[in-house]
Amino acid sequence: MQRRTLLQWLAALPALVSFDSIRLLAQPRELTPAAIAELRAIAPTVLPSNLGAARAAAIADNFVAWTRGYREGVALAHGYGHPRLQKSGPSPVPGYISQLSALADEARARGSNWSALDRETQRTLLDAAFTKAGVRGLPARPSGQHVIVDLMAFYFRSSEANDECYNALINREVCRPIAITTRKPEALRR
Amino acid sequence: MTVHEADICIIGGGITSAMLAERLSELRPGLHIAVVEAGKSIFDAQNRGRYRQRAMEYGEHPWPGDYIEDQQASGIISMTMAVGGLALHWGGACNRFSEEDLRLKSMYGLATDWPIAWDDLEKHYCEAERRLNVSGEPSPHLEDKRSAPYPQGPIPLSYNLQTLKTWAEQSGLKFSPLPMARNLTPFGGRGGCCVYDTCGEVCPSGARYSPDFTFKQLIAPKKIVLHDQTLVRRLIVDDKQSRIVAAQALHQDRPGDPIEFRAKTFVVASGYCWSSHLLLLSSSTRYPNGLANSSGLVGRYMNGHKFIQATANIDDQTFPGQNMTHSLISRQYFRCAADKPFVRHDTRVWESSAGRDPRLRSADGKLLLGDELMADWRSRTKGSSVRLRAYVDVHPSADSRLTLDASKKNRYGDPMPKIEHRFDEATLAREAATKAHVLGVFGTLAKASNGRIVNTNEGDYLDHPGGGCRMGTDPGTSVCDSYGRTHDHENLFVVGAPTTPTGGCTNGTLTFVALTLRSAAEIAKS
Repeated sequence: MQRRTLLQWLAALPALVSFDSIRLLAQPRELTPAAIAELRAIAPTVLPSNLGAARAAAIADNFVAWTRGYREGVALAHGYGHPRLQKSGPSPVPGYISQLSALADEARARGSNWSALDRETQRTLLDAAFTKAGVRGLPARPSGQHVIVDLMAFYFRSSEANDECYNALINREVCRPIAITTRKPEALRR
Repeated sequence: MTVHEADICIIGGGITSAMLAERLSELRPGLHIAVVEAGKSIFDAQNRGRYRQRAMEYGEHPWPGDYIEDQQASGIISMTMAVGGLALHWGGACNRFSEEDLRLKSMYGLATDWPIAWDDLEKHYCEAERRLNVSGEPSPHLEDKRSAPYPQGPIPLSYNLQTLKTWAEQSGLKFSPLPMARNLTPFGGRGGCCVYDTCGEVCPSGARYSPDFTFKQLIAPKKIVLHDQTLVRRLIVDDKQSRIVAAQALHQDRPGDPIEFRAKTFVVASGYCWSSHLLLLSSSTRYPNGLANSSGLVGRYMNGHKFIQATANIDDQTFPGQNMTHSLISRQYFRCAADKPFVRHDTRVWESSAGRDPRLRSADGKLLLGDELMADWRSRTKGSSVRLRAYVDVHPSADSRLTLDASKKNRYGDPMPKIEHRFDEATLAREAATKAHVLGVFGTLAKASNGRIVNTNEGDYLDHPGGGCRMGTDPGTSVCDSYGRTHDHENLFVVGAPTTPTGGCTNGTLTFVALTLRSAAEIAKS
């Protein structure tokens, strides 16, 4: 490339790269250590207690892995009957970080950390956060509206939670011999 | 311009194309068969497990790139345009129609008769079931007699479906496991079912039939040549005769290099939408209304079936998630006594978790956390939800149409199709009575096990659509004969869904395949 061409190209760069795309490039793609710590702290509040601390932490970590696997601009299921083309939106991670930071701030404002708050205060803070984020219900899968409701959906919509609810080894959508399905599911072993 | 020559050029790469190509290659080994499909080949079965996982975790489409963004129709039920077509992600339901579907005019004075004898079609149903390796149980109704057994026994009923069968049959209706193109054990290069339970999206084991397997098996030994990503834009007629001499196409990645397919016989196997569309697009000074359209009926009598659904709550306990894509079917109302008001429909029963899924807030609006949410969920799982659905026999009017929409064009300037379904007067006149009948059946079903219907709704589109090139014996009232040979062009055939005069009252794919296999012998002769 000749020097003049290079200079022309560099001069044109700001026009080619929009402010929005620069802003998006600057957005974090991974939850920060502080955000992950806060997520792990909140997980026992919103997940069933019988999971135990270690399992709740593991579910939080699996959810973090889910955020890492998120891809932007990918075609979503078109649907059937009235199909339409939709693509996945921007990574939810920047929003998640802000939401976790806001919950940590709220806890600090009460002179505490999340785990030390009483149950009703935790509920009040989450209720307000969900309302602010426009959450209307438990989504079928994490939807990016609010990090904590997405963590809840991540667990409560899972095959594991379905088994827990019915206290039965159903293994919904898990590859298994068809003959197993012909029998009443066994109770979970505690 | 690139020219490809073949004996037979099949336009479209869906399930009817796959079945036709396979059958032709058996009937006439050595025949040069070209299959031309506008969409991509997605021949990466090894990745399906990962695609399924991404679909479940992120809602991503499990068939990457199976659509063409600017090649879309208004009124279409799926955007998929790829080798394999809609049967890449069908549920695999393989119900037969019944003799009544073929004799609506002579038995009930409604719509029109099909120009095929039931016994003739029945043989081809058996052939279609063999090729798709359908798993099924003979119907308890004598009228549904078969000339050959199902290739596989029925898909075993889950504990849930066994419970629901006992419940449903207290109504007096007989239910059977739904016949499905799903391998119980490996067959045809595809795996056996291991209840991934995402048949309608993607089947990682290949147990649920999809046409990409057939195409791959035909391509490897060079029984066919597949031209994917190649959009046929018009058919060209001989200057002096009415024979089709070429199909003009463009490869999606090389639009500057036109392609022409020359063949002795052309078969349009492009489904209910794109078949009529291509014929209408192929208009010329000599054929101003498009090809095969001297009757003016190309794109008319677009059909399908309406559906009515309900959810029932019953006391019997089930465990949602055992095998959600399997179901029960009753063919009780496939028949209608000639002296009774006309109503025909199938009746289907599924396990369901409707109304019993986890929720974020209690009935009084309190945010539920952790144990509270689980306890609330558990408290709502006593008994069962049951999903009920009926596909209802409705008949199209001539104004049930596919037209070219000049306001929507693809990148080449071709107008895209617009489908608007309309019912004939008799269908409209009995609509309320039909709905009352179906809801009555649902209500009767629900009576057992202290059941009750908790909601009902009607679909706002027609499922398993067909029509647009209806078959018949009279060239004045139909587009093609019973083999799909167009009345106007002796070497132009249309196969599958577009040729159906009416849409029946149960899933149509097996019928589309059976009709196509019946056409194959005639096409091979040509």
